[in-house]
Amino acid sequence: MKPKVAVFDFTCCEGCELQILNCEEELADLLSALDFVEFREAMTEKADYYDIAFIDGACSRKSEMARLKDIRKRARMVIPIGACACMGGVNCLKNYYPMDEVLRSEYGEKAEYYETIPARHVSAVIPVDFFIPGCPIVKKDFIRVVQEILAGRIPYQYNDPVCAECKVAGNVCVFEKGMTCLGPITRGGCEATCITGGAVCWGCRGFIDKPNIIAEKLILEQAGLSVEEISKRFNLFNACKDRI
Amino acid sequence: MEFLKISKAQFQLSVGRMIDENFVYGVKAKSPSYEFDRLFTADELCLNYNITLLSPNKYFLPPRTPLMGFKLDGKISVDSMVGAQPGIIIGIHPYDLHALKLLDAVFLGNLKDAYYQARRQVIAIIGIDCLQPWQYSFAASMGTAFPPAGFDLWLTDTGDKYLIEVGSEKGEELCRKYLDASEAGEIEVKQREKLREESLSRYKLSLDISPQLIPEVLNSGWNSSMWEELGEKCFSCGSCTMVCPTCVCFDVRDTTELNRLSGERYRIWDSCMFDAFATIASGENFRPTGTDRLRHRLYRKGKYMLQRWGRLGCVGCGRCIHACLVDIASPVYAYNRLAREARTG
Repeated sequence: MKPKVAVFDFTCCEGCELQILNCEEELADLLSALDFVEFREAMTEKADYYDIAFIDGACSRKSEMARLKDIRKRARMVIPIGACACMGGVNCLKNYYPMDEVLRSEYGEKAEYYETIPARHVSAVIPVDFFIPGCPIVKKDFIRVVQEILAGRIPYQYNDPVCAECKVAGNVCVFEKGMTCLGPITRGGCEATCITGGAVCWGCRGFIDKPNIIAEKLILEQAGLSVEEISKRFNLFNACKDRI
Repeated sequence: MEFLKISKAQFQLSVGRMIDENFVYGVKAKSPSYEFDRLFTADELCLNYNITLLSPNKYFLPPRTPLMGFKLDGKISVDSMVGAQPGIIIGIHPYDLHALKLLDAVFLGNLKDAYYQARRQVIAIIGIDCLQPWQYSFAASMGTAFPPAGFDLWLTDTGDKYLIEVGSEKGEELCRKYLDASEAGEIEVKQREKLREESLSRYKLSLDISPQLIPEVLNSGWNSSMWEELGEKCFSCGSCTMVCPTCVCFDVRDTTELNRLSGERYRIWDSCMFDAFATIASGENFRPTGTDRLRHRLYRKGKYMLQRWGRLGCVGCGRCIHACLVDIASPVYAYNRLAREARTG
């Protein structure tokens, strides 16, 4: 029997779900291997039970906490996808402000009709079985994780900094080009796509398990960044202090 | 030993002829550095380079090497993926050829690695003397500034010409087929000696001791405070090992297609600087800190590889020194400092 799969969206741009739909070459194989039973961005049906529930987005409302707990109860496996679900992502930037101020700035006079709580990642609310980081997730990474689960293996979780893959990609280090980068502390698995494409690493895959934050601050400082700039850089995707 | 000479203009035409008939890889500019890459036209080739981002070993031990394919439908079957595309690499520097000799010792010793062997047999090597060494290189003091045997052709830039030393039958064949070279005399060979001699003084970094003494200073230096000092800055990012021409460690992984009917086993570069490298199934990690791993790397380069394969694991190319963002990867700094500490007690 094919595993029943659901994809849910919480506080996010839903871009990671789009990445799944963008797996055009593999879509036929994906549909033959998996039984999608709920996926708001792609279908209208719903289901009561899931073998794998992929969660896109952070949790930023009380109602979302309840919804997450409900999904957990009905799912064998819960896998957060993307920076928002895995680390809270950019949503956590609001946690630096009082919640009523956040509501007012977003909804103005209608603020009283809404509720919000400091944003948090999925594993801060419910236990998760694996996670696929990135902003957005890498299609290849999603397929790989599905392949591994189908084969009955625990998927390999990258825990090495982006730098390693960046060197293998044959890139000139961005620091040599006068730019700065979070590659040395950011979880790899993206094949250093951004740097290969001429940009820098902003840490969208979260930090590795044991990041050398002090050394990273040191090299950013040496590259001329102010304390405020360094803090901004660190916080863009990784403002939530308790990570997955 | 046979020596030939060829004008640079003629050589470029020869490279063009090689490209017409072969997969040719050479040094290309990748500003502000250089890289080995497939050549499509002869004028892409930059032989007057200081260093390449990765060593040419990527053609013999690719970052990702498919090992076998397997089928799981009904009867389980396995297809070997041993094989290689013949090619020619142009522009290998002496230190990188020394590194390749170490890879030969590792992969073509008692246990022959079929994947490496296949590539090694069909890829020809055209090297060139490094007369204007890179600021981070310390090859002169490592004894790797000049090429060991094992090349097919070796070039020396003598101004408007290249002096060519023919090192193998394959090299002779390349000359016959593509190079319009004439015989070189004693004068040119003497000139090469002089040019090589002069290049030695251009190295900015050097080891203070004989390379043979590195294992000794490591023996006395295990408890040096240097390891902690350097290790606490380490990102464990593996950059130093990825750019290293003598790093040979790999991981083996499987992938299975979505239909679960077929898959592939492949090997992929690994790094002893990664936290997971020495972590075993129980969760125990034999080298749990950056300090442990950094020390291990320098022991492996300076001692363990010598013990096991008879060659030092450092050829003095300097790539790791340059790749490290926190300036802690330098073998020449570490070995010199340990030597100093050993002297002063």
